[in-house]
Amino acid sequence: MPRALEAEGVTVRFGGLVAVNGVSLALDEGAILGLIGPNGAGKSTLFNALTGYVKARGQVSFYGRRVDRLQPYARTRLGMGRTFQIERPFEGLTVLENVLIPAFLRAAGPAEAERVAYAALEQVGLADRALQPSSDLNLARRRRLELAKALAVQPKVLFLDELMAGLNPPALKEMIGFVRSLADSGLAIIMVEHIMEAVTELCEEVIVLAFGEKIAHGTPQVVMNDERVVEAYLGGADE
Amino acid sequence: MTQGPDAPRGAAPAARPPRPSLLASPWPRLALVAAAFAAWYFVFPSALSLGITLMLLAGWATAWDLLGGWTGQASLGHAAFVGLGAYTVGVTAANFDLAPWWAALLAMAAAALLALLWGRLTFGLRGAYFVLSTIAIAEILRLVAINERRLTGGAVGLFIFDLQEPFGLDLFSRHVEFWFSLGYLLLVLVVVALVTRGRLGYQMRAVREDEASAQAAGINPVAVKSWAFVLSAALTALGGCLYGVFLSALQPQPLFELHLSVRIALVAIIGGRGTLFGPLVGAALITLAAELFRTTFAQANLLIYGLLIVLVVLFMPRGIMGELERRVVRRRYAKSARG
Repeated sequence: MPRALEAEGVTVRFGGLVAVNGVSLALDEGAILGLIGPNGAGKSTLFNALTGYVKARGQVSFYGRRVDRLQPYARTRLGMGRTFQIERPFEGLTVLENVLIPAFLRAAGPAEAERVAYAALEQVGLADRALQPSSDLNLARRRRLELAKALAVQPKVLFLDELMAGLNPPALKEMIGFVRSLADSGLAIIMVEHIMEAVTELCEEVIVLAFGEKIAHGTPQVVMNDERVVEAYLGGADE
Repeated sequence: MTQGPDAPRGAAPAARPPRPSLLASPWPRLALVAAAFAAWYFVFPSALSLGITLMLLAGWATAWDLLGGWTGQASLGHAAFVGLGAYTVGVTAANFDLAPWWAALLAMAAAALLALLWGRLTFGLRGAYFVLSTIAIAEILRLVAINERRLTGGAVGLFIFDLQEPFGLDLFSRHVEFWFSLGYLLLVLVVVALVTRGRLGYQMRAVREDEASAQAAGINPVAVKSWAFVLSAALTALGGCLYGVFLSALQPQPLFELHLSVRIALVAIIGGRGTLFGPLVGAALITLAAELFRTTFAQANLLIYGLLIVLVVLFMPRGIMGELERRVVRRRYAKSARG
């Protein structure tokens, strides 16, 4: 049985800077993999490499199929859904139209797309705002819209880029519960996250990046006590 | 009352109140447009030429809007397709005695091909660079029209004086041309209405708003832009065929000129990009205002024409229909939220 997502030796260079250096990871259905690390560690760049938004070397496989030469839209069509760190709603459109667009990917026609879109909006609790212009939404709701858009393509692997950042405690709790329920339904989820509460509650496995390299890999508890990880976050004793 | 996050979940779907749907019908308003121009024919029989130029301009601008408004790739080269249509009818009639309806099909195919090739070359360009590149399309065709003297008559031009008659209709009669132009305008409006309510239409909006986000929705931006360009070019060329017959005297200078391209784009922008009826409203406003000012203010007409454009752009950045639509969207949401 091939893994839902497998990456080997993913390397991204921006000119002379190596932003991601030979990172490997693997993910199974129903699992949640956390990706943490200090600012500038290359987490979002790794995400963009896996989903095809930046050029990268190395191999990426989706259910055993090589995807590393594919354009982002082709990876989406296979079943890789993603959110963006800075939410990117289709500003000029309503909430419903925003979700209708990804819903069209697997729908036979407009009526079915509308059904899929409403289902995704209901999942994230935005159905009652379907007709609101998306530019009028507040931050928490923009995040939920971002998630609804990713769900509307009916992905098998879901990439969540700092979905929890900036949410207040009740909204955070709600979002954690929701992500958990998605994994329970069989989705494979990989998340970049700074909110440790979310990471420890959701992830069985965590990968820590620093300066583009994988420096630790394991359960959240083990990783948080790793010497190199503490050093990466807090700075080392003088060397 | 709509389904809220706090409403009890798991209720039987049939018990749910009907959800507000996006798919409101544009057909009644289309019928109204048809009726209004039909009325024009009988009320202003002495202003048929004005009606024809208005409907053709509206048709081109509506076709332009598929690419420039709905897909967000503004073109300043659409005169190329107008000229291509006009010249195809003229050249094929003069040299090969080809019937104008076959010439129209040929012109649409040629315009589609040109758009496809141009798109392949230039859709990698961002923002203003794409816009600038489109200016070259009309420029290239203008040079071809000037230099291919044997076919096009060069700078002197080409006369269309003999055309095969469909069903015995004299295509040079203003009466016939009026109804053909109305048919053309309605055809463009119907095509745009159908396209923009379906999958391609939403993909076009997505590409306009955010290409990265569109890719995350499984959309290939280059393919979507190419489709929009091809449809837009072919529809514009069809109107160009009618314009060629209407003018009967074709010259590279006014036909392929930047001025015409700008006019098409401007009319759509003033009326409201990315709205079905915006380009028509813009075309009507500009054409009628120009006519009115030309007769009443003589020399000052260009000044007033310019002022009008500045006012609309300043106070209605989305265009007339764009601002109206925005208001309707807000009102509909307020209504649905109140329940």
